[in-house]
Amino acid sequence: MKPLIPFFTLVRQEVYRFWRLIKQTIFPPIVTTLLYILIFGFSLGSRIQEIHGFPYILFIIPGLAAMGVINGSFSNACSSLYMAKFDRSLENLLATPLRPVEMVLAYIFSGLMRGVLIGTLILIVALSFFKIPPQHFFVLLYFFIFQSVIFSCWGIIAGMRAKTWDSLATIENFIITPLVYLGGVFYSIDLLPQPWRMVSMFNPLFYIMDGTRYGILGVHDAPLLYSFSFTAIVALILFGVCVYLFQIGYRMVR
Amino acid sequence: MVPATICHLLTPMNAVEINHLKKSYPNVAALKGVDVAIPQGEFFGLLGPNGAGKTTLISSIVGLVKPNSGEIRVMGFELRKNPREAKQQIGLSPQEINIHNYTPIRKILEFQGGFYGLSKKESLKRGEELLKHFSLWEKRNVGRYQLSGGMQRRLMIARALMGKPKILILDEPTAGIDVELRHELWSFLKELNRNGTTILLTTHYIEEAELLCDRVAIINHGRIVAQGPPKELIAKHQLKKESRRDGPFQFVRPGSLEEVFIKLTGHTIEEEAKEETAEETRA
Repeated sequence: MKPLIPFFTLVRQEVYRFWRLIKQTIFPPIVTTLLYILIFGFSLGSRIQEIHGFPYILFIIPGLAAMGVINGSFSNACSSLYMAKFDRSLENLLATPLRPVEMVLAYIFSGLMRGVLIGTLILIVALSFFKIPPQHFFVLLYFFIFQSVIFSCWGIIAGMRAKTWDSLATIENFIITPLVYLGGVFYSIDLLPQPWRMVSMFNPLFYIMDGTRYGILGVHDAPLLYSFSFTAIVALILFGVCVYLFQIGYRMVR
Repeated sequence: MVPATICHLLTPMNAVEINHLKKSYPNVAALKGVDVAIPQGEFFGLLGPNGAGKTTLISSIVGLVKPNSGEIRVMGFELRKNPREAKQQIGLSPQEINIHNYTPIRKILEFQGGFYGLSKKESLKRGEELLKHFSLWEKRNVGRYQLSGGMQRRLMIARALMGKPKILILDEPTAGIDVELRHELWSFLKELNRNGTTILLTTHYIEEAELLCDRVAIINHGRIVAQGPPKELIAKHQLKKESRRDGPFQFVRPGSLEEVFIKLTGHTIEEEAKEETAEETRA
């Protein structure tokens, strides 16, 4: 037996799951971005001042792309795990020879594929209007990958904990969405008065947004080293938590 | 002196070995020190009333339940230390249907093969063989919701066989299957067993166990109360000719395994219903 076949099979299964539902999983964030471009680019955009020397719509595109990555990765992992708990197919998976670390990696990997695919499509659609390429491609890739890992892991934990769809929606609506919106998608924290500026510095999503913006536009608010190390450390910690929870069979093994 | 590894290879190994297994849930002790050894190639039946501990025992063997103490070995591999190697040997068809709701069934089998290390090509080939064997080929592109209860049950068995298991664990495999298909399934399982697959079967149809199994164990209140070939158990535990055959025995064929089962577990239908209710409350 080739040792990686079980892992890649689970990745294939998970990718198959979201790809089959492409109208629900991939297209909606692209449509939302087009609407933002329409509203902020061609309608309201001219009334808003430039930020860091960029037209307003261009300034918010990195945040929209990051938002697509974050939501795509989170909902991929949490809905897949929750559904697998619901139809009990998770029990079948746990009875197979797959190791806990392989299961976690497979869920992360499929979340990453969905998240990065959405982020990339958003950028292709949005930047094609402005004819500018990302300024620092590898920085952008770094932030796409790590934010996807972070939110896939969070999705795994949420999916394991959830007993109802409602609890998953609560996390998305009342925690992730406010953090994303207040993380600087639509504004630079330079524009905020104190103490809100300080408060924003404690929002972990701010560093992810800021790093992504640097990758695309070449401008940033926070020191880059903070953003780089913060995203990597959080991703690593959450990955460790996921592996541990799978190993003990948290809410899965009686 | 013969090295230990060679000794290990030369000694006939049990397919499943369970030593003093204990498992408690918050309000109930499900397994109270179970010892079972199933030699390779045996057709073994596990019988017991509802809530006796059958499913907990089976779930422990595949790692879905964490025992409080005791040891489980599968083809010589200790489950706790070598879970991957142990699970690689087992195909499980559980009591509850646990199949992805909307994935086409051919894909379900393809993925299952992959989880056990089969390449995509091998999985597709084996999946096709099994779907044809279980008369599901025509339905290969539909989700499990579009299958009848009997078809879903057959799909569960097909899925359990995808990884070419050395040990097949079947928890109530014939529940909801009509008589003709049940007989077909019996002959298929017998053939599989003749070809070397060890089978662990739980069933509520006692005559099924009597007919198919080389040995059976009867579990009650988390303890194995009897173990042996059906004929031996019948000879040892059947009611005496002069015994009254009323109450739970009035519809039981004298000298059958069912008679032994009722005698050892002391269960009437009413009691089972009460236990079922208690089990549902616990769940």
